[in-house]
Amino acid sequence: MTSRTDAPEGFLSIRSLTKRYGDFVAVDNLDLEVPKGELVAFLGPSGCGKTTSLRMIAGLVPATSGRIVVGGGDLTEVATHRRDMGLVFQSYALFPHMSVARNVAFGLEMRKVDKGEIAKRVKEAIALVHLTGKEEHRPAQLSGGQQQRVALARALVIRPSILLLDEPLSNLDAKLRDEMRNEIRDIQKRLGITAIFVTHDQVEALTMCDKVVVMNQGRLEQLGTPVELYETPKTAFVASFVGRSNRLTAVARNGAAEFAGQRIAAPAGLEGPVQVMIRPHRLGLSPASPAAADPARQQVTGTVARAIFAGDILQYDVDVGGQIVSVELATRGGESVIEPGRPVTLSWRPQDIFIYGAAA
Amino acid sequence: MSAVAPAAAMPAPLPAAERSSGLPLVVLLLLPIALVNAFGFLAPVFNLLRMSFYESQATGAMVEVYTFATWASVLRDSFYAELILNSILVSLGITLMTLVCSYPIALYLHRSSGTWRTILLVLVISPLLTSAVVRTYGWVAILSENGLVNNALGAIGIAPLKLMFNKTGVVIGLTEILMPYMILALLAGFGRLDPRVEEAASTLGAPPWKVFRHIVVPLTMPGIALGSLLCFVLAVSSFITPKLLGGGRVFLLATEIYDQAIVTLNWPLAATLSILVLVIFGGALVLYTRALRAIM
Repeated sequence: MTSRTDAPEGFLSIRSLTKRYGDFVAVDNLDLEVPKGELVAFLGPSGCGKTTSLRMIAGLVPATSGRIVVGGGDLTEVATHRRDMGLVFQSYALFPHMSVARNVAFGLEMRKVDKGEIAKRVKEAIALVHLTGKEEHRPAQLSGGQQQRVALARALVIRPSILLLDEPLSNLDAKLRDEMRNEIRDIQKRLGITAIFVTHDQVEALTMCDKVVVMNQGRLEQLGTPVELYETPKTAFVASFVGRSNRLTAVARNGAAEFAGQRIAAPAGLEGPVQVMIRPHRLGLSPASPAAADPARQQVTGTVARAIFAGDILQYDVDVGGQIVSVELATRGGESVIEPGRPVTLSWRPQDIFIYGAAA
Repeated sequence: MSAVAPAAAMPAPLPAAERSSGLPLVVLLLLPIALVNAFGFLAPVFNLLRMSFYESQATGAMVEVYTFATWASVLRDSFYAELILNSILVSLGITLMTLVCSYPIALYLHRSSGTWRTILLVLVISPLLTSAVVRTYGWVAILSENGLVNNALGAIGIAPLKLMFNKTGVVIGLTEILMPYMILALLAGFGRLDPRVEEAASTLGAPPWKVFRHIVVPLTMPGIALGSLLCFVLAVSSFITPKLLGGGRVFLLATEIYDQAIVTLNWPLAATLSILVLVIFGGALVLYTRALRAIM
């Protein structure tokens, strides 16, 4: 558990938030402080509780226990329509019977903002998402990307205290996704709005967000900046879910992990089976000559099982004592591909390898 | 079938060949229902139309001489104008009552799932297994002077209410009888309802009743229109229930047609009124299609 109880109180403060459905714990004791103006991702596989957490923040799902506090006000028992949050759905959820302009105006009409002000703000919001000229279109006449922009404008026009985004890019094709990713981030920064972004896509989480909450089975696995998560994953789950990793098993004994008779340093206190994680592109590979080893690097030996030249990278699958380790080397030109069956030495900097107890 | 024809060599593209052999097939497939309709519906309606121009004599005999007399008397006599207006108003009232009673049930059914939904659906449809006659007699037992309601009221010292042999009885009886049709029609028209859209409205600041008014009702309009059309048509043409619960004191088109055809034996008049019922149906259909176009 990595609840940051030492962190200063955030604008959005989630305290021991829990959701149970019978015996099933969807969200388990979530603690989180989100400072004003930050974009925080909830990242995890489907069923990890990230969407349930978001829906509890929006008030669409009642919390079993815990508190949700925004700007010092406790919203846990407040009805959805009084929470003042903008939610963008994966399925857009536009009002099909209303024009684009009416969709965007809806939240303002509910707030009884006066007509002239509504017209002005709707115009601004539609311009913000580059849909000027589409005001009188019905949602069904727009493309998926345009519909998602309308949904974004509709959520932003009410100037919500928090913008909640529930997998907003999942229904878009790859090119549009990249475009919308940048656009959402730009708008969020420009407006300085506090936002939660639920996603199962680590690229979205890493590239867009100030901080990422990695969730698994209802629990917060790790909270950190994208760099922290990538460079210092605290659990095996984070190491494998954020970025790609080789996942190997070894046995720890007396401060060393041992596989296939080769020993590497392991954190003290670990005994028995452990998981070893290392990223494919952080591995170095050289023809077997352990003598030439750099003392600053750790190393093991193995045999090339497969070599794939993929243009910008050269990928090797290396058999190390029965376990396959993937290695990716950026090509620079002129290197020769090492044939399968040849012995090789794998090396890495000590900070690039992560060793976890098998239970983690 | 607007495939661009290949420019060169190969003539006679497949789509054209398919079309030339496909047209007679369509006609062949439509023929049975066209024949049934022609003999079973169009011919009798035409007969009815013709009969409405025959001359009727006081004895009840019908002379096959064409005359506008019946039409003229129907269109001139304020009794019939009132009858038609009355029929339309009572049927509209019944339709509205049926809609109000059925809508919450249909909405609940739409949102339930699994076995519970199946059980509820069977419960909703099961009244259709009993004929309207039996169900009307059931209402007689409940609404009559010595019926369930008045006995209960009497027991707590309230004077009996007149619930039968008036419009109240007809509306109550027909509302219950038409509810299954309304619920099924509503369910068929609830396809556009999406819980996410309702949630979106509530996150935008709409309290539950505003979500209902601005989102749920507009999105279920196709169902409301369909159910209302169906129930209005069934109410205008219903005969048994107005006859039994109206007790001859509620004058509606269907009961009047029955009386003219069976009691007074004035068939030309009965035929004229029947054609008027068809005209009302036509009007309802036009309104329905207009409404649908406005909604979509």
